[in-house]
Amino acid sequence: MRNSSDKKTGLIFFPAFDWAISPTHPEREERLLYTRDQIFEEGIMDLPQISEYVSVLAKTHDIAMTQFCVPRVEDRVTEAHLIAAGAAILLADEIVSGRLKNGFALVRPPGHHAMRVVHGNRGFCNINNEAIMVDYLRRRHGIKRVAIIDTDVHHGDGTQDIFWHDPDVLFISFHQDGRTIFPGTGFADELGGPTAYARTLNIPLPLGTTDESMLYILDNLILPILSDFKPDFIVNSAGQDNHYTDPLGSMKVTAQGYARLTEKLRPDLAVLEGGYAIETALPYVNMGIILALAGLDYSYVREPDLQTFRESSDLTGYIHRMVNSLLQQWEKRDQALPNPKLIKGNYYERVKRIFYDTDGFIEEQVEKLRICDNCPGYLAIDTEVNHGYGLSDGKALCISVPFTACSSCRKEAASFYEEAKKRKNYRQVYLQDKPSDVFLGYNSVNGQEWRSEG
Amino acid sequence: MYVGVDVGGTFTDAVLLHNGQILTTAKIPTKTDLLESILEALDIVLQDVDIRDLKRIVFSTTVITNLIAGQKYDKVALLLIPGPGLSHKLYDFKTEVCILSGAIDYRGREIVSLNEKEIEETLTRLATKGFKKVGIIGKFSPRNSSHEKQVAEIIKEKYPDWQVELGFQAGPQLNFPRRVVTTFLTCATREPYSNFVNSVRQALAKREITAEVFILKADTGTLPLKHSVELPVETIFSGPAASTVGVQSLTSPDLTEVAIDIGGTTTDISLILNGQPLLSAKGARVEGQLTQVRTLAVKSVPVGGDSILERVGDEIVFRPERLGPAYCLGGPVPTPTDALRVLDLTGLGDEGKAREAMESLGTPLGMSAVETAEKVMSLVVKSITAEVKKMFLEWEQEPAYRIWELLQKRKVSPSIVVGVGGGSEGFIPRIASELGCQAIIPPYAPVANAIGAAVAKPTLQISLRADTEQGYYHIREDGFQGKIDRRSFNEGKALELAREKLLDKAAEYGLEVSPEEIEVTHQEVFNMIRGWNTVGRLYDLTVQTSRGIAVPIKMGGK
Ligand SMILES: [Zn+2]
Ligand SMILES: [Zn+2]
Repeated sequence: MRNSSDKKTGLIFFPAFDWAISPTHPEREERLLYTRDQIFEEGIMDLPQISEYVSVLAKTHDIAMTQFCVPRVEDRVTEAHLIAAGAAILLADEIVSGRLKNGFALVRPPGHHAMRVVHGNRGFCNINNEAIMVDYLRRRHGIKRVAIIDTDVHHGDGTQDIFWHDPDVLFISFHQDGRTIFPGTGFADELGGPTAYARTLNIPLPLGTTDESMLYILDNLILPILSDFKPDFIVNSAGQDNHYTDPLGSMKVTAQGYARLTEKLRPDLAVLEGGYAIETALPYVNMGIILALAGLDYSYVREPDLQTFRESSDLTGYIHRMVNSLLQQWEKRDQALPNPKLIKGNYYERVKRIFYDTDGFIEEQVEKLRICDNCPGYLAIDTEVNHGYGLSDGKALCISVPFTACSSCRKEAASFYEEAKKRKNYRQVYLQDKPSDVFLGYNSVNGQEWRSEG
Repeated sequence: MYVGVDVGGTFTDAVLLHNGQILTTAKIPTKTDLLESILEALDIVLQDVDIRDLKRIVFSTTVITNLIAGQKYDKVALLLIPGPGLSHKLYDFKTEVCILSGAIDYRGREIVSLNEKEIEETLTRLATKGFKKVGIIGKFSPRNSSHEKQVAEIIKEKYPDWQVELGFQAGPQLNFPRRVVTTFLTCATREPYSNFVNSVRQALAKREITAEVFILKADTGTLPLKHSVELPVETIFSGPAASTVGVQSLTSPDLTEVAIDIGGTTTDISLILNGQPLLSAKGARVEGQLTQVRTLAVKSVPVGGDSILERVGDEIVFRPERLGPAYCLGGPVPTPTDALRVLDLTGLGDEGKAREAMESLGTPLGMSAVETAEKVMSLVVKSITAEVKKMFLEWEQEPAYRIWELLQKRKVSPSIVVGVGGGSEGFIPRIASELGCQAIIPPYAPVANAIGAAVAKPTLQISLRADTEQGYYHIREDGFQGKIDRRSFNEGKALELAREKLLDKAAEYGLEVSPEEIEVTHQEVFNMIRGWNTVGRLYDLTVQTSRGIAVPIKMGGK
């Protein structure tokens, strides 16, 4: 999508001034208030390089084709979520259709902690705006390869989970080291599933990382890998909590740093994620990102209390070594052999425990990927929520057939779904058939099946 | 009795109203001297009237439009205090611009203070260059106008004869570049506009007219003439406002309708949604520059009854120019009016000449006069209906920042197309049927604009912003700042305060406003949370006197 013509930058500003997780939660009404004041006062929407769009609601089908909301999409999302995901989809549509140069969905609520299976809110997120949009582009516009660069201070564990086994989606996240921040993941050895080795890359950052190292990672790791991978579409999960004033993160990135990152990365679409320094960072960082996307001079954007930050040479050295080691992983991405311990019969299997911090429960998953010589294989996830004291909502089975599935995997997945319906040991059974854009859901308690298609 | 006068580019119209009845109308060609046109039209409608019965006169004039288009003003320098943000190199205000140090943030806090030495040097430079009119505009000045006021103080001391305009007064909304342009235009036009107002007042005094005199604004509200010099730019584009209010008063209330004013070479379109004229979401565009002037959402299509028709290759096209009247009325070239004559949709002009005009266009294309006329008709109708559809679409696509706003967005379609202005009669039925609407051409359609001026009502607005953490409130329109008690201040008190201010302002303007008439048009409350504690609340609200018309005109459509 690299077209630097005189086309405009599309902007959807949806601050959801009437939505909050709770009155004093960081995800509250006030979050984008000062950002609004800043971009309105600067006259951003009047700039000839900017085109403001009004969001639309995403369709439940678009969510169901990417994420398994248990029991149903309607139970896990509110209108605010549909509007945020709808914004990403609408802008992506306009960009891929050639009507926009690039875009920024400056929306809330965020999404990058929402995983493939959704039982509730995790890390302020219910549904994954970027993942839903990316799958939409693949279904509707035949987009093949996508890169998602997550620049939030928190590891984009939801996005990583959704594309873990997907060789056509490159996911790179840099973030504060998981030992010191939610969600506690995103280490350099998390490199993707057996069929998508090194298509997931994580760069955990030490506390106090500055613009300098962030841009070093961009120049020496992310940009070279992007030029190898040759994505058709680049998404930036544009979290702003690496800012030096963020109350949740401990990084030292500035608005100039974020603007420079955006200018160099040249994403087709940026989607706002976190960022909770609502007065001291967001008005400035958002200005920087918008101007950089629009190709305008951002050098006058500066925080009122801006200082010069320096990193220790230890920190810089550590970053350089990590970049080198990840580059080596990337180089051998097609030679890496899957860990034999993962193989259980015809499947690669992994067991996961997922903590839902907002709602305070744990989900247990057994994830199986069909081993196939002709395609990446379909995925079958056994999921159950444990509320403690042996309380459970019952099990659900989620089957996902990838875009590039071979016909025998598609057939096998379909019969797997039919058999699971009969066996009654799952309360819900779902089938996402991405090649045909069809979603099926079955509730074994009342015997009802529902279906949606694009 | 009420009088409305609309001075348009070609004609000046006037009407005399009494209890909703139209007593007299006048239509005269507009002269170069606007005052002369006003007085001539006024004298016609007031011929047999005891001027003591006259309660109110409302003017809608092109005086500001003409001043700006003709650049008939002294040079103006701009002193900008933009601070950090958008690059200063991106600003292009087409006049002398000086950037001063200093910055205020979104909550009105000072980030960078002013530099007096720099200000003095700048002023000396401007004085040397001969500037005597300056606009001072700070970013976020509606949140804190102290920088603008400090610079103004320095000027007052050193150059007491300079005319100074402040951004927070001329452009009180959040949009710095538009505030700059609005302040520039205010500064440029105030003096010549005052001269115009004075000569109007003198002329009225000479006629012993003591009625209240108002001027129509672009947003369909009126201002007392003497107060209009405070914000002269607001009277720009009052012509379309006059026609639209005219349509509003001539048709049943609460309708969703399209008002179409077809003139000689342009057609103005405006929308009335559920009885209220639609305002443009941002502000008027004046000579290509964006301002904060509240205006109707009006679209002008460059086509009218006298547009030139031409053949280009195998196509018939129109050009947005006028070479004279229609061919059938003795003009030099074929026009849409000739097509109307051939189709028998107008009684104007000579039928034979109209046929001749159509044949000259159509014969080389193998079309008869009637076929050509049909073709022309559909060309005109299509260009107008396309614009109408676009306007509805744009309205639907206006941004929404709240969930409820976005969810209530729905498709709205008009039920009625109302034609006013000279050229409407022949085209309106076709335009209406193309849009699936009923066509109405109200009686007095040719002077709907003057009727609109006569029935337009004063509108006053007060915007209050209170920041309980900082312990003050602030009235946007006059920059007034007062203290509030952090603990006891609440939404009810904020509203009460805003209402009081509005009633005060009404009294100052000599307007009778009852408290029940006050509408709340914007209301926003945010809790400010720092850490996990509420440290304050932000209240932002706007109240205004009700929009609408003074009296409905007693007659429906035909
Ligand atoms: Zn985050
Ligand atoms: Zn297969």
